Amino acid sequence: MIHHIVALGRGTLETVSALGRAVIFLVQAAWGVPSREGWHLWLRQMHFIGVMSLAIVLVSGLFIGMVLGLQGFTILVDFGAEDALGQMVALSLLRELAPVVAALLFAGRAGSALTAEIGLMKATEQLTSMEMIGVDPLRRIVAPRLWAGFVSMPLLTVGFSVVGIWGGYLVGVQWLGVFDGSYWSNMQSSVAFVDDILNGMLKSVVFGLVVTWIAVFQGYDLVPTSEGISRATTRTVVYSSLAVLGLDFVLTALMFGELG
Amino acid sequence: MFDNYRDVDERDVTDTTLVDVEGLHFSRGENEIFRGVDLRIPKGKITAVMGPSGTGKTTLLKLIGGQLVPDAGRVCIDGQDVHRLSRRALFRLRRRMGMLFQSGALFSDLNVFENVAFPLRVHTDLPEAMVRDIVLMKLQAVGLRGARNLSPAELSGGMARRVALARAVALDPELVLYDEPFVGQDPISMGVLVQLIKTVNQALGLTAVIVSHDIKETLSIADYVYIIADGQVMAHGTPQTLDVNRDARVKQFVHGEPDGPVPFHYPAPDFHRDILATGGGRP
Amino acid sequence: MKRSKMMELGVGLFVLAGILGMVFLGLRVSGVGFGVPQDTFTLQANFANIGGLKSGSRVAMAGVTVGRVSDVSLDTEWLDARVTMELDDSLEGKISRDSTASILTSGLLGEQYVGLSVGGDPEMLEDGDTIRDTQQALVLEQLIQQFVSNMTSE
Repeated sequence: MIHHIVALGRGTLETVSALGRAVIFLVQAAWGVPSREGWHLWLRQMHFIGVMSLAIVLVSGLFIGMVLGLQGFTILVDFGAEDALGQMVALSLLRELAPVVAALLFAGRAGSALTAEIGLMKATEQLTSMEMIGVDPLRRIVAPRLWAGFVSMPLLTVGFSVVGIWGGYLVGVQWLGVFDGSYWSNMQSSVAFVDDILNGMLKSVVFGLVVTWIAVFQGYDLVPTSEGISRATTRTVVYSSLAVLGLDFVLTALMFGELG
Repeated sequence: MFDNYRDVDERDVTDTTLVDVEGLHFSRGENEIFRGVDLRIPKGKITAVMGPSGTGKTTLLKLIGGQLVPDAGRVCIDGQDVHRLSRRALFRLRRRMGMLFQSGALFSDLNVFENVAFPLRVHTDLPEAMVRDIVLMKLQAVGLRGARNLSPAELSGGMARRVALARAVALDPELVLYDEPFVGQDPISMGVLVQLIKTVNQALGLTAVIVSHDIKETLSIADYVYIIADGQVMAHGTPQTLDVNRDARVKQFVHGEPDGPVPFHYPAPDFHRDILATGGGRP
Repeated sequence: MKRSKMMELGVGLFVLAGILGMVFLGLRVSGVGFGVPQDTFTLQANFANIGGLKSGSRVAMAGVTVGRVSDVSLDTEWLDARVTMELDDSLEGKISRDSTASILTSGLLGEQYVGLSVGGDPEMLEDGDTIRDTQQALVLEQLIQQFVSNMTSE
């Protein structure tokens, strides 16, 4: 019995200390934004993190938009309201699906790669040797990745939404025969730029920060063995998925739940 | 043992000591790694720190480099207490040090040339042509000028370590720390490395600390040797004096005897009884 | 050098695509008109009940969108809803005084909007005038109530 309570206590302490380390880590790393050289490092990471994730995000967005068009149509047609298809597709994408699904894909594609890359650098002593050369790895390795993830995520989410809405258009209008004009006009009359589009973007900015943060921290904090790297990679995907879904609920409640 | 201590005191400590380690205590969790280690690393010489695996030799280098903080005791480099320096002053001090890591630790996203140029680009504002000249000089010294465009993944272990050596001395440091430079090398690249460390040291007049357990190679180039065991300095002296040291543990280590005061067997119950034990399945 | 140029190009295109996507979302999806501030004129109308009408809702004439609701407030004098509408400039002086404004619903579940139908009066409404003939929103509960009371009275 005592044994379990001790284990609980130790677990709590370890969790709190890891959280503390993560916050200090974030503050120290986010400090390292500017400098001319940093620009190139950031650009490089934008390429690896953002551009390389674009394909999977766009393809997924297209399919999700098409599924929404198909499912939405079969439901709405029962009420004779298939003209509202555009509205349904656009709102569900902009408010929820694009930020959340893009963030989950991003965690799987870029987040795990970041953890593995930084973990490998740690395991091969690259981080230590950089420190010995007198360069802070937080600035040189972590900061550009953090900022690249932060900037990439909203861009990916925009791409996801656009492609998804187009996918819904393909299925709804081109295939199932919803009237072209009502698809767009219904969408335009119900989607508000600030409430729906900007709030969705705000979500994606938060998700981008959280996912990249988890990924680089897991990489930086892992046990430098091959087993440690594989565990940390798994943790990145699990933690970021949970964080994204949990935060999504909180943000949705704040933005659309009219609690305030 | 005591003869050796007198030997240290005879040397002129104040002028020629670059690194001075005093009463170093360090533990990891419950595991006590150092229990009062004293070392003096003389300027311009090659000093070897040796000992069986798991005695914290790499930890010692990290303590000297200021990456770990000791529980007690201090490390002074050129009169500066490493662990009392501000972060900025510590990074400035590290520019005067080079470190060669066991794995080479080349940056995997840069090619050989850029790896060697890295410290120059970070710490100096030299024009590109000058950086190029210096890098090619250093690569020439380790015989890998022709490999400048390869990526670290394309290098063999020995080559990677040579590139890392070129990078460690790129800024012409005063102190170079070698972490197990000979581990896992084939005889040829081992010979190359031994030769290189020696010549680089002589040519640049560096102070070197080599941490290793490869006795033959290390003794062949070291000017002075410390042997660490059980968290303390077990013996020290020039390679010649150690070779004739009569202390049983020193003898076992220097001559590489499989059994002796350092037992071959991990502590276990009596073998016969263990074998004959039949009580209920696996222990 | 060439590789880094390609990389810069890729990142540039990526960011550009993101910005264009945002513009697309703004213009095509939410229907925000950027830049060109269209000339409008204002009409007002009082309704006994506006249902779900809100600021930003559509104003249509013969099914064509001709403006939007800019403000909804309670008229403290008459204790009914005062709706301010901004209409397209080209309609100024073309809506007769006896025009009707009614609150309609697009489809069964759709949004509510203001529908204008023009009368035959030769005098026209000017900027800031009030439409007097209005028809309130249909509220489902009231409809059902009417239906039930009709049933019982028969």
